[in-house]
Amino acid sequence: MAERLLTYAEAIQEALDQEMARDSSVYVMGEDVAVWGNLFGCTKGLLKKYGKDRVRDTPISEAALMGCGVGSAAAGMRPVVEIMYIDFISIAMDQIINHAARWHQLSGGKVTVPVVVRTQGGVGFRNSSQHSQSLENWFVNVPGLVVVMPSTPYDVKGLLKAAIRNDNPVIFIEHKAIYRNKGPVPADDYIIPLGAAEVKRPGKDLTIVANSWMVLLALEAAGELARRGIDCEVIDPRTLYPLDEKTILESVRKTGRCLVVNEAPAAGGWSGEVSSVIMENAFSSLKCPVKRLCGRRTGVPYDKDLEREVVPSAADIVREACALAAE
Amino acid sequence: MTFKKTDLLKLYRRMLEIRAVDNRLVPLKLKDLVMDGFHPCVGQEAVPVGVCWSLRPDDYVISTHRPQGHAQMKGASMEAIFCEMLGRMGGPSNGLGGPMQWVDTENNFFCGSIVGSGVSYSTGFALAAQREGKGRIAVCFFGDGASNTGSFHEGMNLAAIWHLPVLYICENNQYGEAMPVKEFVSVPKISARAAAYGLKGKTVDGMDVKKVAEAAAEAVTSLRKGKGPAFIETVTYRYRGHYLGDPENYRTKTEIESWRKKDPIDRLGRELVRTWKVTAAALKEIETEVEAAADKAQQAALDRPKPTLDFALSNVLVPVAGRNA
Repeated sequence: MAERLLTYAEAIQEALDQEMARDSSVYVMGEDVAVWGNLFGCTKGLLKKYGKDRVRDTPISEAALMGCGVGSAAAGMRPVVEIMYIDFISIAMDQIINHAARWHQLSGGKVTVPVVVRTQGGVGFRNSSQHSQSLENWFVNVPGLVVVMPSTPYDVKGLLKAAIRNDNPVIFIEHKAIYRNKGPVPADDYIIPLGAAEVKRPGKDLTIVANSWMVLLALEAAGELARRGIDCEVIDPRTLYPLDEKTILESVRKTGRCLVVNEAPAAGGWSGEVSSVIMENAFSSLKCPVKRLCGRRTGVPYDKDLEREVVPSAADIVREACALAAE
Repeated sequence: MTFKKTDLLKLYRRMLEIRAVDNRLVPLKLKDLVMDGFHPCVGQEAVPVGVCWSLRPDDYVISTHRPQGHAQMKGASMEAIFCEMLGRMGGPSNGLGGPMQWVDTENNFFCGSIVGSGVSYSTGFALAAQREGKGRIAVCFFGDGASNTGSFHEGMNLAAIWHLPVLYICENNQYGEAMPVKEFVSVPKISARAAAYGLKGKTVDGMDVKKVAEAAAEAVTSLRKGKGPAFIETVTYRYRGHYLGDPENYRTKTEIESWRKKDPIDRLGRELVRTWKVTAAALKEIETEVEAAADKAQQAALDRPKPTLDFALSNVLVPVAGRNA
């Protein structure tokens, strides 16, 4: 039987559908998730199947809808709260950082806050500087949160299901440029554990650690690099925190070279964290310093070409990888 | 609402319990055993006592950076309050939270030090209660200052459109830190803001425990029937500063004295003597009992250990499966 192909958006929809069918405490809430079914169709059909109580359109009130998610999670429900663009999460930050991330500890482990915050970031739709940012780094630094960024339809389904079943607040960041990407997605109920990386392409010469859309660019670059005689191993941590350090370190110990690719600006970010983990644990295996390739430190411009130029491209990855391989 | 003599005696005792704890926290603060997060609530006792009078143990209470009275009335023991204030094991958050943020799981009580946040997250507890359908409600206490936050307006609108069982209790104690309410709230009564969300707002004398209890009871009955959120502004006053060490250069001694004349405990005491023929000696006996209980609770808390570093590093995340799952 041929593999079933779904888009990234369809895989999200299927994960939500399956989890809502499995557990009546799961509900979906956000701006235009019900009638519209989300901007990209990620929640399409759920309103009809599960009704208004479990698929809730909310006012444009990110603090309130996040607060509602956080409070109801502490009261035993499993909300999947959607923040339409990650840029809007700034309005909801207090609820996430000061409350969701704190209550488990303040209750001595008795209260859990199993809220999933689904949102999407990155460039790709000419949405400019208040609708295209990569803000994952903010959340990686906050104790009490899990941060997930899936890159493929297969991963997004398994990881979203895992996130919904997980008892922590999970920041689940999708990427707007890849919702229409198709890939094999089994119809069955499978889970991808949080905190587990995947080697997306095995290789021996150089390790590329990338996340989200950057994984796809890294794989594209790896094809070109192979033609140039550089065999890259591409690792997708999938969960930014907690980080699967083991998979990354095993790879770097083998290749001795590492490029970290992240769409967000480098300073103070996860890319530096990955780099530090390698330096601290596998320094003696390194043949050259770890290199970061990140988004430029600027607002995302409106222009179609410019918005691509301020974030890493496959060509940029090829260039940086060649330079590293030559060191 | 009719009060029996036994009810009034209980209300009287409960207000004394809050005051007895607060009065002991002051010297503990002066000894640096309780830190600056302690916001005294003396003067405001009628509000938590009156509101919690109608609550069930399974109702949720969401409180503020001045939570000690609410927490006690929702079921926390005096000892638990002292423990948290002193940063000792045995507090609701085992001393990790301190004077203004803790989670008391057994009593369905949450509080925090970000002004206004609770108005948004109380909607979540109310949503879960609504879905459960057993008449459970969420009570959200907040101060006058919170009524200017975005979270307040967003949360109240959400509760209103979804008819959520939230009882909003505004404790208007006349000052947001050092700034007088009349200088930072655009309307004469904060309860007027409820109308913007289609709710009936009510303003009651927060120095009169009976008035507070009556208004809350009426609202709670309506909430349990699923009639949507309710809003009560209680007009009250804190005798002490915003925090201990507050220079209090924003108000006069005369003003403080004029409010002390309305003291909720004295007021109920006078009624008990005049109308209910309770003897002054009987009231004194209640006070003596409460004071003794507070002394005992304070000592018990002081005898408790502080949390260890290991404990302070625990329960950050529920363990995540990782690669070997």
